[in-house]
Amino acid sequence: MTLVSAQNITYSINENKLFHNLSFGVNSGEGLHIKGGNGSGKSTLLRIILGITTPTKGLIKRCSEDLKISYLGHKNAIKNYLTPIENLELLFNDVEIKIAYEWLYKFNLSHVQDELAASLSFGQQKKLALIRVLAQSPELIVLDEPFVGLDQTAADQLNHFLEEQLSEGVGLIFTSHINPKISCKVLDLEAKNV
Amino acid sequence: MFRLLKTESFKLSNKLKSWLGPLLIMVLVLIAFPLSIDISQYDLEKFYFSIIVVSLLMTSFVATEGMFEEDFEDGSLEQEFLIEKDFYKLVLSKIIVYVCLIGIPIAFIGALFSFANGVAIGSFAKVFLLLILSNLLLFNLFAFGNALSINKGAMLGVLSSLPLALPVIILLGRAIRSIQFGDGFSSIIALMFGLGLILSAMMPLIISAALKTHID
Amino acid sequence: MLGWTWGLLFAPQDAVQGNSYRIIFLHVPSVIFAELVYFFMAICALMHLVWRVKLAAYLIKSAAPIGAMITFIGLFSGSIWGIPTWGTWWQWDARITSTLILFIMYLGILTLHGSFSNLEKADRLMSILVIIGVVNIPIIKKSVDWWSTLHQPASISVSGSTSIDPSMLYPLFISVIGLGFTLISLGILSSRSYILSREKNKKWALKHV
Repeated sequence: MTLVSAQNITYSINENKLFHNLSFGVNSGEGLHIKGGNGSGKSTLLRIILGITTPTKGLIKRCSEDLKISYLGHKNAIKNYLTPIENLELLFNDVEIKIAYEWLYKFNLSHVQDELAASLSFGQQKKLALIRVLAQSPELIVLDEPFVGLDQTAADQLNHFLEEQLSEGVGLIFTSHINPKISCKVLDLEAKNV
Repeated sequence: MFRLLKTESFKLSNKLKSWLGPLLIMVLVLIAFPLSIDISQYDLEKFYFSIIVVSLLMTSFVATEGMFEEDFEDGSLEQEFLIEKDFYKLVLSKIIVYVCLIGIPIAFIGALFSFANGVAIGSFAKVFLLLILSNLLLFNLFAFGNALSINKGAMLGVLSSLPLALPVIILLGRAIRSIQFGDGFSSIIALMFGLGLILSAMMPLIISAALKTHID
Repeated sequence: MLGWTWGLLFAPQDAVQGNSYRIIFLHVPSVIFAELVYFFMAICALMHLVWRVKLAAYLIKSAAPIGAMITFIGLFSGSIWGIPTWGTWWQWDARITSTLILFIMYLGILTLHGSFSNLEKADRLMSILVIIGVVNIPIIKKSVDWWSTLHQPASISVSGSTSIDPSMLYPLFISVIGLGFTLISLGILSSRSYILSREKNKKWALKHV
């Protein structure tokens, strides 16, 4: 099943064209790696897929209106003045929070779960943000540079978790300037082919 | 909606600076003013109300400052957009939470001080109600200014929402006169209540459009 | 361009005709246009938000400084006029106050547009503010009227006390039209240069630089 598809997407900012006539689709259980140099519009493309940014031309189609998408961008959306647990409680109800606890354990964050998020390192904050994405049990995961800031162990862990999600039929779209170990389609914004 | 109300009140109550700050400023102004003039020469009762009005304007401005900035900067707005598809509920719950946690205490302090400065006991409830309503109006308007300026500083927010706030101040002044002279109070309260309802319904719509533009 | 030369030739000529009241020929038209320019901007803002007409936003951006300027001229000339007639340059009168608020609104619009680097965002935010502002204008007028009748005895009123003599009304009328044409041509000039600067990457614009 095609979760989300893009048709002839063109985007220009202040009259400068960033990309032109892009078309692609992501099925459930399929990964899409968006590649490209700095400023090639990777993040913008993700935001267009999410419906946050409106493309200059073209259309984004979703399989259903309430397709459950979870997203992590450059900004972590973590409140510094709350603890990791409180941060997760902002979003999850009593049932969902149990899943989130398990993720805290898997990502090795259980020992800092009651400290203020401000005292966490950059990598730990990133992990926390990833937990929020994964624990939402989404149908489509959209990640912007998920490996930046993670150490080797954590990056391997993330690779593993993402592959697990893919095998469960979750769709995945992510940007990264390094080639990850996940097997997936590649969209190169500079070469403009899938 | 319930989730958002819970989330926003939890966030605000954990930010001591944004929550307690405005209340302290209100108290500070109201105490400092009588100390700065020679009370024996002036009839304090007559214009103490205008001090309350001005400090109400100031505190509601301080209280709403950065209302959306934090959520915009840390990416929470984008997350919220993915869940709710627009910001109407978020803005509405933010305003409700701000009015309940900051607006009502401020109104209470204002009413308390006006009481302490020679207003009849019977007027306490009137002043309290009046100040709550004005806070509701002002918070809506300043939230709009803040949504426009978002992370570009408070000055821009004031510049764009001050013209909107001035009629509220005039209305408030009028209402206070009617308390002092005891006529037409209920019609003004009704007017303010109506305005408050209309604004609370309309403003989140407009603010939502502004926020959408920002994250675009 | 015809209107520009026409306006420039006529407006000053008329202004000299009156003696002590001659500033009326500057003051009254500029106050009239202070609001008209704003209404024009509001129409453009509506067009920009509803139909996404880019040109409408450019027009707002070029009209706003002109509006601010003319409002300032209106306030300033009013002050100068106020010194001989009222003996003071400023009165907290209903009309002056609402004009001052209008001036603040113009400044707000300009500052708002200037603070964002993404010009398309700035256009949309500016349009939102302009539309809220136009709803606000009658409210301000009403409330300020209410306020000033409350606080001030009606000792001073700008109009009403003397009806204007027809021999003065005529040049006044012409000077209003003259200023109108001047503003329109000024607007055309400034929007021309602004549109060119915004569309400088387009082929058609390059031909006109």
